Amino acid sequence: MTLTERILARAAGQSTVRPGDEVWARVDLAVMHDSSGPRRIAPVLQRLGGRIWDPNRVVLAIDHFTPPATLTHVEILTMTRAWARERQLPLFFDSEGILHNLLLERGLARPGTLVVGADSHTCTAGAVGAVAVGVGATELATVLVTGEIWLRVPPTVLIRFEGTIPPYLTARDLAMAVLGSLKADFAIYRAVEYTGEAVESMSLDERAVLTNQAVEMGAKNGIVPPPEQQWPGAGVSLAPSAPEECEAVHTFHVRELAPMVAAPPRVDEVRPVAHLQGLPLDRAYIGSCVGGKAEDLRLAARVLRGRRVRIPLTVTPATQEVVRACLADGTLQALVEAGAIVQAPGCGACAGLHSGLLGPGERCVATVTRNTPGRMGHRSAEVYLASALTVAASALTGQLTDPREVL
Amino acid sequence: MEVLEGAAWVFGDHVTTDDIFPGRYLERPLDEAGRYAMAGVDETFASRVRPGDFVVGGVNFGAGSSREAAVVALKQAGVAAVIARSFARIFFRNAINNGLPAVIVPDTTGIRTGDRLRVDLTSRQVTVLRTGSALPILNLTGISLAILRAGGLIPFTEARLSRRTP
Ligand code: SF4
Repeated sequence: MTLTERILARAAGQSTVRPGDEVWARVDLAVMHDSSGPRRIAPVLQRLGGRIWDPNRVVLAIDHFTPPATLTHVEILTMTRAWARERQLPLFFDSEGILHNLLLERGLARPGTLVVGADSHTCTAGAVGAVAVGVGATELATVLVTGEIWLRVPPTVLIRFEGTIPPYLTARDLAMAVLGSLKADFAIYRAVEYTGEAVESMSLDERAVLTNQAVEMGAKNGIVPPPEQQWPGAGVSLAPSAPEECEAVHTFHVRELAPMVAAPPRVDEVRPVAHLQGLPLDRAYIGSCVGGKAEDLRLAARVLRGRRVRIPLTVTPATQEVVRACLADGTLQALVEAGAIVQAPGCGACAGLHSGLLGPGERCVATVTRNTPGRMGHRSAEVYLASALTVAASALTGQLTDPREVL
Repeated sequence: MEVLEGAAWVFGDHVTTDDIFPGRYLERPLDEAGRYAMAGVDETFASRVRPGDFVVGGVNFGAGSSREAAVVALKQAGVAAVIARSFARIFFRNAINNGLPAVIVPDTTGIRTGDRLRVDLTSRQVTVLRTGSALPILNLTGISLAILRAGGLIPFTEARLSRRTP
């Protein structure tokens, strides 16, 4: 069995499963946030008797509507807090950062487990070697009551990144290279497993970029075999999948790749930054679950230290812990001295809810997850997706800039 | 639910949940969702669609954000089923969970906006009445069909729970 199949077999209490099988699986961790959580889930929960199967396995994070920009946002937060208090939820995080990042940072997502979440980027947690699957709010509500979910076992697509990562590339460039060459629907209903030398040398933050972007490929889950292949308590082998068990294997040679950008309106409109070099920009943004990690802020600081941005650069750290870590090592100092505006942790402008929306026709280079029209504000605004290195380099010049030009 | 007939509204490939229900409406109450159905691509859709009509997409329909409001918006607007060559999987699950058939057929290029379609979940085919061409339904078996027949995941779960408790 593949890594994903092994984990799903364990969760389903079966000795084996095969791609295409429909199974009922026991959920190890159910996660949600203030947008998808109580406000949507409470009514369904009520209809189903209202009892949570195991409050210790439920994570709720306020990350979308914080800091609140309108009184409607305030109402949502107040309702969410009251619900968490009433339920005495032990794993409730109030404006401490983005759900997906908290799951990794606090060690809540464990290797070999099944994580289900009411958010499409729940797949991020696959970075630790878990099967992490996004669902809608109604479905999460039924999971909260039963502790179970039905899943179709996905075939696995193996993505191998060969070679070592040069200093001008990041996991985001690698993920974009996959999207550019295989396109945004190649992994629908599939598990995407990332292996290879380049992946093995990545930090958890960088692995999480690969698994986060799995959903943009259409995947059910993204997964990276954990460095420790026999986790005590995992109950299954977490070794990488054998290529012959996978539906397809795609190999990318990292040294042949260049810094990438995804041009609007789609995540798979990927080309080397060099092809769009010099495109004038209005704004630059570093933030979101995929692009506001400590690693991203440090990459940006590497470019910006001792220099000044030419266009507004906004930085939204993913979590409070990112703020603390980047304060401690001088990263924030470097960013602020370069002219960056640092905002409160959370989803920020990523979903166009608050904290810096884009106006009509504004062009922004950003580390966020998606560039769909209207995603970060006005429908005519253009979002170019790129790594933190490329965003920082572009903020320096005011134009799309290959980071090799300034590193 | 087994045989549906209505007019087709054809959209392209990779229609996202931001197209179906733009994020700026997320803070609005869910019972208003129908007014903004497809507002990201066509702001007039919600006022022109008739109850029982179908939304037709190409590949990867419902990509992007997991927002269930996208499905709720289509249902409230009166859409009786969504037909596509493939669905983004969270959109697919949300549709089934809310009792909205999300039907996969091998090809949707022969369908034009305004065509009358018949969707037959028993004989498992979609017929384009203008051309008479019949497209086989490739999905909706097993658990997903059972959930759809129960009227969605909530009634389905209620039934499961009542079987479990003596
Ligand atoms: S940062 Fe953006 S993509 Fe990530 S969870 Fe928040 S809104 Fe979603």
